[in-house]
Amino acid sequence: MNRRDAVKSVAFLMGGALSATTIGVFLEGCQPSKNSSENLFSADQEKMLAELADTIIPTTKTPGAKAAGVGPFISLMMKDCYPEEAQKVFVKGLEDLEKNSKDKFKNSFVSLTPAQRTELLGKFREETIAAQKNDKDEAAKLQEKEAAELEKKPEKERAGNPMAAKKPVAKHYFFAIARDLTMLGYFTSEIGATQAYEYIDIPGRYDGCVDMKPGQRVYA
Amino acid sequence: MNLNTKATAQNTYDAIVIGSGISGGWAAKELTEKGLKVLLLERGRNIEHIKDYTTAMKKPWEFEHRGRLTEEQKRTHPVQMRDYPYQEFNESFWVNDLDCPYTEVKRFDWYRGFHVGGKSLMWGRQSYRFSDINFEDNLKDGHGNDWPIRYKDLEKWYDYTERFAGISGQNENWPALPDGQFLPPMEMNCVEKSVKKRIEDHYKRERILTIGRTANLTVPHKGRGKCQYRNLCSRGCPFGAYFSTQSSTLPAAVATGNLTLRPYSLVSHIIHDKESKKAKGVMVIDSETNENMEFYAKIVFVNGSTLGTTQILLNSTSDEHPNGLGNASGELGHNLMDHHFRCGASGQAEGFDDKYTYGRRANGIYVPRYQNMGNDKRNYLRGFGYQGGASRTGWHQDVAELAFGGDFKDQMTVPGVWQMGLGGFGEALPYHDNKVTLDKTKKDKWGLPVLAIDCSFRDNETKMREAMKNDAAEMLEAAGMKNIVTYDNGSTPGMAIHEQGTARMGNDPKTSVLNKWNQMHEVSNVFVTDGACMPSIGCQNPSLTFMALTARAADYAVAELKKGNI
Repeated sequence: MNRRDAVKSVAFLMGGALSATTIGVFLEGCQPSKNSSENLFSADQEKMLAELADTIIPTTKTPGAKAAGVGPFISLMMKDCYPEEAQKVFVKGLEDLEKNSKDKFKNSFVSLTPAQRTELLGKFREETIAAQKNDKDEAAKLQEKEAAELEKKPEKERAGNPMAAKKPVAKHYFFAIARDLTMLGYFTSEIGATQAYEYIDIPGRYDGCVDMKPGQRVYA
Repeated sequence: MNLNTKATAQNTYDAIVIGSGISGGWAAKELTEKGLKVLLLERGRNIEHIKDYTTAMKKPWEFEHRGRLTEEQKRTHPVQMRDYPYQEFNESFWVNDLDCPYTEVKRFDWYRGFHVGGKSLMWGRQSYRFSDINFEDNLKDGHGNDWPIRYKDLEKWYDYTERFAGISGQNENWPALPDGQFLPPMEMNCVEKSVKKRIEDHYKRERILTIGRTANLTVPHKGRGKCQYRNLCSRGCPFGAYFSTQSSTLPAAVATGNLTLRPYSLVSHIIHDKESKKAKGVMVIDSETNENMEFYAKIVFVNGSTLGTTQILLNSTSDEHPNGLGNASGELGHNLMDHHFRCGASGQAEGFDDKYTYGRRANGIYVPRYQNMGNDKRNYLRGFGYQGGASRTGWHQDVAELAFGGDFKDQMTVPGVWQMGLGGFGEALPYHDNKVTLDKTKKDKWGLPVLAIDCSFRDNETKMREAMKNDAAEMLEAAGMKNIVTYDNGSTPGMAIHEQGTARMGNDPKTSVLNKWNQMHEVSNVFVTDGACMPSIGCQNPSLTFMALTARAADYAVAELKKGNI
């Protein structure tokens, strides 16, 4: 049994009194000290994940991503739901982030001020946008080339698949994954869904046209 | 010969129904209610209504991966994962593709659920009648064979099935979409109402927009609860508020005392009797223990899903039926069709910033076919309908690319842009060489030969997709939408999960497998009433038509049985 499962069975014994969020916070509070074989990340990196998520979605008038347990969520998702190449890209991204932090601020990412973290992440964001644009342009060029080659073929051979579902480009970007998982993890967490968003478990009816209330939040 | 007459008697019923999905559930209900002892066979596990909908009441944060798939699930479900329906939320409702492979001569996305209820648990619930335009298209343009029935033959059965299933919707008096026996319609939101009015004014009601007709209850109905507007239908509904085998037809069949339901019963073939020229029964493989057993009946209804049914029929060979049961025409396996979709336009509505919605409506709007009708003539045959709707999300126009931070977070929690989308569902023509055959070089987990699927969309569909994009953009513009964008995300046969054909109905035994009563031309006690029977597919979501055809065929079958004709 791994630690996460252990915590969950404790929650079960307590009659489910611990919410998922509480479990998240609990996990965040006591990370294993060494890099276990089933974990992609070192203990220091696990701490980084929580701070990284909290930089993407910080505490404002509602609690942020760290309070919502998004750090351990990212760790779990990277382990279970991503292919090895994406995992490598992501781990390398964390390493780059730490290196940049030390180069620029002479300090570990987890020890930076929120403003410093935001500045650093801003740089990663810009680089990701540029890389994505570059890769998209290259993919478009390749697609044009493929389409041109298809045109040369006799119509009978072309007719087979004129509208094949487009293959998604399997490129992985550290910052894009971190942001995606932070948003997913946060807005589907109990804190994110019920405090940042408004969560109604069983609406019971549909009203297609209601006046916006002051302070109206998006429904989870 | 060692006759075990006791075992034979134990394994003998009046009727066998193969498959417990939408049409199989209906067959079981109708046949049991007419007094027949029925054995309902389901290849997968049982799923008990409510009790076994294990994720139905879970909150978003109670899903470990928040809906996403693990690498292991992707590995074991390489086909199911190709599109959105397969998610963590109802993961156990979809087949493990490795257990039941098939051969893709061309890419074909085959979505399957092996359990009691079949895809009735996960279906989209949109319920539209066919019109005479659909029943006559094959005859008029020469693609496919003529339907052996017309709307008048099916009308009362549509009435009958709608009244039982509980379909909410609005009557519109539209020639391509006959009215029905509807529960009160769901409400459109304020943007949809505005778009409806502006489109219908602009096109002088030569195009209409109506609320989706859906098998979700807007009021309590026959002991089932009304929709609670959670929009979590595909996990199974604990309120019984949408039509499924479990919520509707199975309890009715059980209540007669005439039903035996047997899960884990994979039918390998139908046993043909040379003397009587009828089906004697079916050979079943217990899908848990691999044990073989035979069951016997006077009537066999084959409702194994379009391709599942045809797989059984192709595998039911004998001296009299060397190419599959009832396949003297050679049409069995041919004329496979699916709708093509994932193509349309969307835009933003302005002027509704002070309006919002309450509740999660598991339904959208519908624009029924208007092409190639009246004065509307196109450079392609047949037509398409649109499904879509308007919604207000947390997305804002001024959010920077890959934005992050506190301001971004707070902005995401405020209702943002109203989006309105229209996505086409287009008819594909019945092409004879879109087909399935048995691939005897490959076996599934239970040792049965797998299907080879060879199906593609063609020029008519490609041309139609241009119109699906352009018409949507034009209508959204007429409705005052801004920032309109068109899209074509590509559509592979199978993706719409509306696969139909391969054992078509027709008047001529030389060119069809089934007659106008869904009865095999050559084997009078075998009926096929699932999607396999369809000579054409219109552009409407098909399940309601399967229900009506099944109820009609069951009525005929029992009458014929009583007359001694079967």
